[in-house]
Amino acid sequence: MPRKWDWLKDEIKGLELIRSAPLIFKFISGKLNGPDDLVKCALCPNMCRHACPISIVDGKETTSPAGKARIAFFIRDGKLELNLENIEPLYMCLSCDACTQWCPFEFSVSNLTRPIKEEAVKKGITFKEFSEVFKNLKEYGYVYGEPKDEKMVRDGNILYLRGCTIREKYPEVEKKTSKVLESLGYKPFTTSEKCCGIPAYNLGNITLFKKLAKEQAEIINSSGADVVVTSCPSCAYAYRVLYPKYSIKINPKIFHITEFLEGKIKGLKTKGRVTFHDPCKLAIGLKRPELLEKLLLSIEGLEVKSPRRKGKETFCCGYGGSAISRLNAQLADEISNERLKELREEAEVIVTACPTCKLAFESNYGKTLDIAELLYDVLRG
Amino acid sequence: MTNLEVVMRSNHELPSDVLKHLISILGNRVSTKDVDLLSYSRDYWPITLHWMLKGKIPALARAIVWPKNTREVQDVVKIAYENAIPVYTYGGGSGVLGGAIPEQGGIVVDMKKMRSIKLHEENLLVEVEAGTNGYYLEKYLNKKGYTLGHFPQSLYPSTIGGWIATKATGQFSTKYGGIEDMVLGLEAVLPWGDVVTLKPHVRSATGPDLKTLFIGSEGILGIITKTWLKIWPYPEKRILLSFASETLEEALDSVNRILKRGARPAVVRIYDIVETKRHFYKFDEVYGKIATIIILEGDSKLVEAEKQIIEEEFKGKALGENLVKHWLETRFNVKEASEFAPLGVVFDTIEVSIHWSKAIKLYRSLINVMRSVKGTLFVSAHASHFYPQGVCFYFTFAGIPKGDPTEYYNEVWDVAMKTTLEVGGAISHHHGIGRQRGKWLKEDLGLAFEVLKKVKNALDEKKIMNPRNMGV
Ligand SMILES: Cc1cc2nc3c(=O)[nH]c(=O)nc-3n(C[C@H](O)[C@H](O)[C@H](O)COP(=O)(O)OP(=O)(O)OC[C@H]3O[C@@H](n4cnc5c(N)ncnc54)[C@H](O)[C@@H]3O)c2cc1C
Ligand code: SF4
Ligand code: SF4
Repeated sequence: MPRKWDWLKDEIKGLELIRSAPLIFKFISGKLNGPDDLVKCALCPNMCRHACPISIVDGKETTSPAGKARIAFFIRDGKLELNLENIEPLYMCLSCDACTQWCPFEFSVSNLTRPIKEEAVKKGITFKEFSEVFKNLKEYGYVYGEPKDEKMVRDGNILYLRGCTIREKYPEVEKKTSKVLESLGYKPFTTSEKCCGIPAYNLGNITLFKKLAKEQAEIINSSGADVVVTSCPSCAYAYRVLYPKYSIKINPKIFHITEFLEGKIKGLKTKGRVTFHDPCKLAIGLKRPELLEKLLLSIEGLEVKSPRRKGKETFCCGYGGSAISRLNAQLADEISNERLKELREEAEVIVTACPTCKLAFESNYGKTLDIAELLYDVLRG
Repeated sequence: MTNLEVVMRSNHELPSDVLKHLISILGNRVSTKDVDLLSYSRDYWPITLHWMLKGKIPALARAIVWPKNTREVQDVVKIAYENAIPVYTYGGGSGVLGGAIPEQGGIVVDMKKMRSIKLHEENLLVEVEAGTNGYYLEKYLNKKGYTLGHFPQSLYPSTIGGWIATKATGQFSTKYGGIEDMVLGLEAVLPWGDVVTLKPHVRSATGPDLKTLFIGSEGILGIITKTWLKIWPYPEKRILLSFASETLEEALDSVNRILKRGARPAVVRIYDIVETKRHFYKFDEVYGKIATIIILEGDSKLVEAEKQIIEEEFKGKALGENLVKHWLETRFNVKEASEFAPLGVVFDTIEVSIHWSKAIKLYRSLINVMRSVKGTLFVSAHASHFYPQGVCFYFTFAGIPKGDPTEYYNEVWDVAMKTTLEVGGAISHHHGIGRQRGKWLKEDLGLAFEVLKKVKNALDEKKIMNPRNMGV
């Protein structure tokens, strides 16, 4: 079979090729690395723009995926100053990686632009809106400030890690998740967990991220559990995808709740009509685009209406990425409302599997159930 | 702006009271920040990629605005008109000829916040605001059981307004037509700020069809704010066919006969030998030959009949579905410019149209003249859009110039345009004119160019709408 560049070799043969295009020859012969990824993205006509929630709702070239890459490229090249005004567009990113699903190079714009954010943080060029997050994470290992006095469950056979948003905003989801797990014969226990570090990572504070990750890994590894279940897909993503990148090892097997329940919930029946919102960190980050829908479809009698954008085409709730809800809350809510509008065309009740998505929709008056809440209700009849 | 050279620098300033006025209307949807001006300094005119890599940007506007509705577009345009300030309409910035570049400073009006969609199912129509993203609309329609049938390769980054303004066509155009066949009506803000609505009647004999004035007008006559487009039921069936031919003539003749018999495949693409190798190198059976891919879609009985016609008429070896599946999977993988521009390769595409009788002559002449420019590495083409009367050829060229890339680029373009006119073709089939083709439009249109100028001057007496674009 001919190879990818043989046609070009056929066209520009022999001496002529070597004389006219030595770089090309080296490139197509695999002896030269091409441009680096940020440059490639900066030169792209935004072939993933349609998938990027920021791009659709904000609608600005500046915050479009390739637009962000261009700004990062100019800053890196010293053509644009590294200052707050110039880096702000780089933070207009939900870290949802919807771009990656469509990119011919499989780039993640959030990853491509992170080095600039890291450099900015290192140099102390950071928004006042982030300082409090950094402070809370440093002092308490918790994004929301000092944690409330929490009752821990110390005995059990699986460790249930709730994540900061469940702990702070949705204690009822914590209870219901535990009940669902108990109904399946497990004994979940909780511990004095810390933040997984993703907010620090998203905002470019890698030193802080690594510190939190090490502490959290220590807590998990010393818990004695073989299996960890979490309600937060971002936490599961951090433990399974990010920590290994920084050589931080977690010993137990980590599951997001939907992954843990897969194949285990059988014989459930209910009535009603729901639609669902695939969280980006589950559908894209953990590469389980079909899982939430599959779980819902396994409940007999439940009418499950698919939204226009689902699975790998899911559309972030607007509160992802740690930065936008802090820097531009109005835009975050506009994105939530964009998504809510299309979900509401399908059903009144939205089911999701991420506390941040629940928070985003509920802050914008969308009736939203975590998958564990729905299962809890169905189990109770 | 730090360390960036502006190629088309303008001296026009934006008076501070104008800026204040804009802010009083649009609030924080007005920006004069460096990062925003920089982001709107160009579209996807390929030569500007080389400029960008060298720290040069084409031009800088004085302000960017993001209106949310027609009323706000009107307000902005009125302010610009009163103060004789240039206005550049910006869609997705995927135009490939520099049409959206704010050459004389002024105000860039980005349309992308205007993206409402209203479906009129009973009348097979969709009403859509001009800033709506192409894929966003198609996906919306698909969910409701319809398609627009418009799939330019820039479906993902471009906008509906941009499609109309550049007179775009999609990959499925042989069945569904170009955007001009889909626009039933439109609304536009005129250079002095009034709104004109050309209603979406099914057909009307109410004088010349004025909406066509705006189709292909590239922002020089006003700002398209809304349109009504024809839609189709989502196709019930798709059939994928492909063929290998020994010669380009044979493949073109086959398609010519198929169209004469009334069959309307959605997609027909005939690749010359170089492009067949380039796109289908994994398929031994076409390497060194001419590949044709065909997609039929629509009502199952109709497409079955079309399939029979094609099988009767296509001279060449039938190769089944695999080539077409490969094309469907890779048709949006736009990578080359990103990979090659940083290596110093100047790379672009040129699309021209021609009657059947001169199709081969045009193909051969353009390949020859473009290849003869010093520095050219290769020139190739495929026939991408078909009509009973003729065909569009889409040429790709790449070269490594020894001297100035812009000079080499213009030289290739000039020989291509000149030769197209000599052979009797149209200098653009669907990308439009923009900055790059401006000087050739006059030659192509002849006296009609004077008509266009008169229309422009009558509508835009202060010359504020995308001044100098299209050479008018
Ligand atoms: C990778 C790639 C593939 C492409 N494939 C195709 C293809 O298959 N078929 C095709 O036809 N083209 C193609 N193009 C060219 C381009 O995408 C189209 O011409 C598209 O229609 C431009 O739309 P846009 O919204 O990006 O417009 P822009 O680039 O933003 O603007 C183009 C021109 O239209 C004007 N304009 C934009 N919106 C309006 C408005 N609302 N009112 C008035 N004027 C307006 C601008 O001022 C400018 O002059 C391709 C481009 C790229 C980069
Ligand atoms: S992420 Fe990929 S598709 Fe998106 S702009 Fe960058 S290179 Fe293009
Ligand atoms: S990660 Fe999400 S928000 Fe960020 S550029 Fe990619 S698609 Fe857009």
